[in-house]
Amino acid sequence: MSTATVSIHEQADVPQPVQHGAPGGFVRHCNILTGIAAGLVLAVVTYFVGSLWLVPWGTTTANYVQVGNDALWAATFIAWVIGFMAGIGAFAGPIRWSLGRDLTHADAEYLAGKDLGRARYWKYTTDHKVVGLQYLVMALVLFGVGGLLAMMIRTELGVTWKEVFSPDFYNAIIGTHGIVMIIAMIIAVAGPLGNFILPIMIGARDMAFPRLNALSFWLLFAAVPPLLISLAMGGIRDGWSVYQPLSAQAPTGAIGYQVTIIVFAFSTGIAAVNLITTTVTMRARGMTWNRVPVFAIGIIASSIMGLIWFPMFQYSQVLALSDRAFGSSFFNPVNGGSVWLYENLFWLLGHPEVYVVVIPATAAMMEIAVVFMRKPLFSYKIAVAGFAGVVGISAIVWVHHMYMTGWAPAANYPFMLSTELISIPFGFLVLVLLGTIWRGKAWTSLPMMAVYVLLWNKVVGGITGVYLSDTPVDQYMHGSMFVVAHFHFMLMGAGLFGAMGAIVYWFPKMTARMFDERIGSIGFWTAFFGFQLTFMSMFVAGLQGQPRRVLQFDNAFNISNWLSTIGAYIIGIGMLIFLAAVITSWRSGVKAPANPWASTSLEWQTQTPVPLENFPVLPVVTSDPYDYGVPDPYDTASSKDQAKQTVGAR
Amino acid sequence: MTVTRDIPLSPTTGEPVSVVARRNRLGVWLCIISDVTGVVALLIAYAYLWALNVNGAWAPPKDAFADPVTFWVVALGGIVTAALIWFGYRTVARGGRGVAILALAVLVVLATFILQIVQLSTFPFDIQDGGYASATFWLCIGAAFHLSLVLTLVIGVVGRTRAGLINAANPYHARLVAMYATWAAIAIFLGALFATTMTVSPNTQSPPFGEFQQVPASASASPAASASPAS
Repeated sequence: MSTATVSIHEQADVPQPVQHGAPGGFVRHCNILTGIAAGLVLAVVTYFVGSLWLVPWGTTTANYVQVGNDALWAATFIAWVIGFMAGIGAFAGPIRWSLGRDLTHADAEYLAGKDLGRARYWKYTTDHKVVGLQYLVMALVLFGVGGLLAMMIRTELGVTWKEVFSPDFYNAIIGTHGIVMIIAMIIAVAGPLGNFILPIMIGARDMAFPRLNALSFWLLFAAVPPLLISLAMGGIRDGWSVYQPLSAQAPTGAIGYQVTIIVFAFSTGIAAVNLITTTVTMRARGMTWNRVPVFAIGIIASSIMGLIWFPMFQYSQVLALSDRAFGSSFFNPVNGGSVWLYENLFWLLGHPEVYVVVIPATAAMMEIAVVFMRKPLFSYKIAVAGFAGVVGISAIVWVHHMYMTGWAPAANYPFMLSTELISIPFGFLVLVLLGTIWRGKAWTSLPMMAVYVLLWNKVVGGITGVYLSDTPVDQYMHGSMFVVAHFHFMLMGAGLFGAMGAIVYWFPKMTARMFDERIGSIGFWTAFFGFQLTFMSMFVAGLQGQPRRVLQFDNAFNISNWLSTIGAYIIGIGMLIFLAAVITSWRSGVKAPANPWASTSLEWQTQTPVPLENFPVLPVVTSDPYDYGVPDPYDTASSKDQAKQTVGAR
Repeated sequence: MTVTRDIPLSPTTGEPVSVVARRNRLGVWLCIISDVTGVVALLIAYAYLWALNVNGAWAPPKDAFADPVTFWVVALGGIVTAALIWFGYRTVARGGRGVAILALAVLVVLATFILQIVQLSTFPFDIQDGGYASATFWLCIGAAFHLSLVLTLVIGVVGRTRAGLINAANPYHARLVAMYATWAAIAIFLGALFATTMTVSPNTQSPPFGEFQQVPASASASPAASASPAS
């Protein structure tokens, strides 16, 4: 992407509102510790006040003590979230707005973390780069928790001669692993890279709504503790989908899940609004829609799905929480409710969520493929059509999760058709990647390896998904380990391995350090090998008929489960090695040049570390983003060799 | 880029406020789209339970449905509020003061909000009294949430207009609030429409639920007994 630059007006010329006190105002006194303290205080006060009022109310009104107890815990968790957000300074902005105390430029700079050093990572900082790194660390922590729970699950299933955990606890770690990993996967690419990289990639100084950016991250931070605490309150024993009526009868831990999802949906919605608005309205001059990097298009596609469908998921949990906390009857059939209503509301997001995860990772791989093949993207328009097709058709596939529930059997065949149809736009995306790689001379590096891995995993996950979308096949496969292997190939195989490649690719820009590819590759390939062993064996177990979410099973499934467990431990070792590469590279890696990959996209044209407002002067785009080698796409020598020398010099 | 002095600039980013306003407008539209999906989820829940009448438990005890007039008064309050905010915005944008009109909007939305709370606390049924009661309670809670949000926003707009921060050159925040208030009025209207026109379920033959009979252990030993349908 060729660029020119344009000068902008000087900030000092702009009339400023009256500066009340030191820049930043109330937020100067806030950080993560004040947030936690305020959250805990409000939660404890709510618990004690509520225990005097809510529990007796539940007993006398509903003749069912759990109603009051659940209302008490719901109020406590919500109080934690509100208290935390107040303590970290999230409400300062709206209050200032309503009082007419608009931010001065000095205020905005303070909030963006100027001159705050490392303290800015612990505050309500609005700089998109800080928020991106906060998301990255949060994703790593969540993957750590979810991965640990996965190891516990595989340990239980691998030790076939005795029970390691009680059945109830086993169910709890299954459910918690599921939802922790879903949250981690949703934020894995769109969180760190959508926030850090996307604004620079389109030539913007920041996100459209910097304060909402900080709000989306800290809401996520506040949403996680109720979920983790739920493990100590009986856990989530009904899988990540928390189906009714099971969750209505589950221990109080289910309340933590419901509050987490309700808050996380706000966080995701706010982030989606911000990402879409930024890309639509803040692109550099000259960046017409056919010059927008494909990664930005993928982020928009993912954000649209999240924006539209997450409220359905959110309201399914609002109503489920109402059933438990107030005794209403949305999902209780005895009193006029319907469990199928829950399943419909849940799967309206539950299925598009897979695409929310996979689309950004796929788009990132496209971005990487063009750089490391030094070729233009194979059919930009087909890629965009693929994203649009997935977004459109994702709205009409949810019923395939309900084939075997007995809900509207006549709907099975139309939804079978729609589910198979979505493989066409998905196929577009695979073909664009294949076409970009085709007959190219690859620069063999870790990000490029992630492209190959994503392609393989996505094809395996996609084809097995087509089988499962067939109603007759699903009658046999439903609820089996085959389904578990299938969605792990999509979410982990495509989503997580893609995210790993994307983070390695943009690591130099985000941390100003080169990623240690030698150690990182060992971890990456170890995890890949373990992944194939784990989930290929699981396909076999599923085909043999092993049901999922079952603690004890027939000896016929032992070998598959032993292999899966060995594979899982190999994944764990690989991920720890990869994590070690991330940490050591971040702490003491070789300093990165501004553009180590000799990429043409805008984020590599600015200096490293990226300055507070991203560009000294705003760029103007004068050509397409992927003009590598044009007119001869195979003339890769010059730029690639130059880039190799740069990286090799370290 | 040349910037002339008569274009008001955003103090934080230095961009013309019309550019920031365009960005904010898209943001509000997207927030509204997300809110629409949430409201649709509530309406789906209402219509779903109304159509199925599971276990014959849709209607509240003694068919004591809520008084329809209150729903429509609340909806009218929402519509009048939105109209006043739009009127106030246009007045300010044309160079008028508009504070009195916006202050009137505050009074109307406050009265509507109070009426909504009164309605919630005086329903002739409890939230636990079946599908209609549960769904209606949540439609009204949704309306109260929307009204409280509009109330908070319009109070801010009045304060900012009085302080001169919303003026003819920079009236955009009033417009953003008017946009949201319009959607809030539509959402409340839809809730009223559902709650007043879809009361008695069309499904009068709903199958009973929960009448399964436990087969005694001795009887279940025989294949014939275990295959017999539950009564």
